[in-house]
Amino acid sequence: MLTPKQMSRLLIVASRDQLDPVIRELYRSHLFHIEDFVVDGREGYDGFSIGTPLPGANEVSAELVKVRTIENTFLIRASETEPTGKHRQAELRSTIEQELPAIERELTELNGRRSRLDAMVKDCEQKIAEILPFAEIPMDMEMYRGYAGLTVLAGYVSKEVNIPEPAEVYISSGKARRFIVAVFKNERRSDVDRVLLEANFKAVSIPVETGMPRARIDASNEQIAQAKAEIDQINRRLDEIRDRHREFLVACEEILKADIERAEAPLRFATIGQTFVAEGWVPKDRAASMKDALNGATGGRIFVTELTVGEHDPVPVEYDNPPFARPSQLLMDTYSRPKYNELDPTVMVSIVFPIFFGLILGDVGYGALLLVLCLGLRKFIKGEEGQQLIAVLRNASISSIFFGVIYSEFLGFPCPWPYILPSRHLNIGAHATGHGPNIPGLMMMAIWIGIVHITLGRTLSIVNHSRQDHGSHRIKTILANAGWILMIWGILFLIWSMIPMPYMPDLTGLPPVVMGLNVAALIGIAALVVGLICIARESALEIVELPTIFSHSLSYSRLVAVGLSSVAIAMVVNYIAIGMLIEPQLGNITPIGVLFIIMGVLVFLIGHVMNTVLGIIGGSLHSVRLHYVEFFTKFYKGGGIKYSPFGFKRRFTED
Amino acid sequence: MVDVVSNVTAVEMSVEAIKASQIGMKAIAAAIAISTTAFAAAWAEMAIGSAAVGATAENKDIFGLVLLLTVIPETIVIFGLVVALLLIF
Repeated sequence: MLTPKQMSRLLIVASRDQLDPVIRELYRSHLFHIEDFVVDGREGYDGFSIGTPLPGANEVSAELVKVRTIENTFLIRASETEPTGKHRQAELRSTIEQELPAIERELTELNGRRSRLDAMVKDCEQKIAEILPFAEIPMDMEMYRGYAGLTVLAGYVSKEVNIPEPAEVYISSGKARRFIVAVFKNERRSDVDRVLLEANFKAVSIPVETGMPRARIDASNEQIAQAKAEIDQINRRLDEIRDRHREFLVACEEILKADIERAEAPLRFATIGQTFVAEGWVPKDRAASMKDALNGATGGRIFVTELTVGEHDPVPVEYDNPPFARPSQLLMDTYSRPKYNELDPTVMVSIVFPIFFGLILGDVGYGALLLVLCLGLRKFIKGEEGQQLIAVLRNASISSIFFGVIYSEFLGFPCPWPYILPSRHLNIGAHATGHGPNIPGLMMMAIWIGIVHITLGRTLSIVNHSRQDHGSHRIKTILANAGWILMIWGILFLIWSMIPMPYMPDLTGLPPVVMGLNVAALIGIAALVVGLICIARESALEIVELPTIFSHSLSYSRLVAVGLSSVAIAMVVNYIAIGMLIEPQLGNITPIGVLFIIMGVLVFLIGHVMNTVLGIIGGSLHSVRLHYVEFFTKFYKGGGIKYSPFGFKRRFTED
Repeated sequence: MVDVVSNVTAVEMSVEAIKASQIGMKAIAAAIAISTTAFAAAWAEMAIGSAAVGATAENKDIFGLVLLLTVIPETIVIFGLVVALLLIF
């Protein structure tokens, strides 16, 4: 439970003609984490080379590319597709060969037609844009060209322009930018050009068209409308195809992907002559059944043996947690997966994280809101990680409700029962009465939690080092961690012997022994000195880390501080909404009063929704942080390799 | 006689004024504690946050990690809040 799953290292040796059945069996069992063979001159592997893919790999790759192209065109994703049932693999294989080319053909044809229509629409739009300036001039488009002695110019001018006669000129009305068409004799070109230049003339090319411009525009518009209708039809047809074949396509992708993985597996094995060697990892409790299965699949023509696991072997890590702790693996993976020979703190995280969350957001109302939110979102959030996150938040919300009960809080209001933990109720509002929050009590509670959590972290570090290190180094590291614990408790004893504090033992009353110091103080000093020596023996540089004893313990005061700010926001929202807006209006209801009441309700809703969001973010981030920064740094390194067995969980197909 | 009475009243008043100003001073001290630490935390998070967004744009997988790195300086403001609360209550 506190360690990763035990793994066995398997060595598989067989002749190359057994590759196919071996790979099939390994794939089916979905247990064998292949250790990729690399040609690096490893002892015992002289002369070995990487294997070659099984026959047919290229064809399958080509098929897979086809399927994925079609999926991309339709924007189909396997992760977003919910399987309605499982396709039988054999049936699917027989239909792939007929259906896939047919779908592809239809798709190419429809796509081709669609892009031709799209291009046509663009052409027509371009044409309309070109003709549009001429629309106001009631003249056949043919009349603009074909003159030997005349020049026709069209364009825009930004000023008043006066082209000297004889010339035929059309100028559109308008102020800033006017369209002009001028027809004049060729020899007057330079004069006209000069006049036009002064008016900032910008020429446009005259489209080569026939017929009246209006009629041409109408015709083009009609063409566009027709093309668009056709495009819509094609899109509908494509949607139909997508809906009909969605599951078929993702199922095809799944079996082809499996085929490729199988076909390319020999690339991860070592081969020499007619023999191949595969090394990998299986969970210890499954090793024997794995051996039997391989023997069965090859008719005994295989050699499988369990190798001894070396200390520096790259053992893949699979969690071994009870079901309630599994969602918290998400929090572990976000930081780093534990190493194989390291303690796996997932169980502790899964218990302590909700407690911290509850201590921060301890409110029956907010807890219930979050719980409802989690239960509602569970159906909509897909993927393993999303589900884990929801489960973590669900546990946190239950803890929040529990702590809400013992803090006696509901959306910032006190509940009818007395609080058990120190009070967090602030005096907010004009009529607020009461004791106010018990800050020293809360603070001491948080620091106690911190001290216990840090001591636990250091204790786990002792366990880790005793498992991982050797010889004198092992003793040194164990003593150093014990030294840290001695330092923490030494400081505590020293403080207790000098200053009386609430919720902490008061040792000031003990009779002084030497130099005005009592027994507790002497114990504290002795622990400090021994602790310091132990730490310095392992590494003198560690001494600079001593202030972290204070900063890390005090950091747990965030459990109180973040919680109090959340309570303060809730109470302020309540006071503004109820105390200031709603309550004064209730005595004498007037139309404006009703407006105030509506405003009050809005403030209440928006305020509490915002505070819930802040509470979820604050509560979870700060509890995670206390784990990652204050707890894990004491003992946890991480960096384990994820156990990813050969094969995958099939969602759409079955044998 | 009149002088004595007025002196006594003046003394009483000044004692009250001192008490009141002490409460005010405490409140100001708390305000300074929270505001300076909040500023410091915000400043620290500004630098980390911008780097974090950049890193996330490169690789989405590290979002969880950089989110945590971003909230690390929040300890500063929490210490400020603790000091402020201890000052007032």
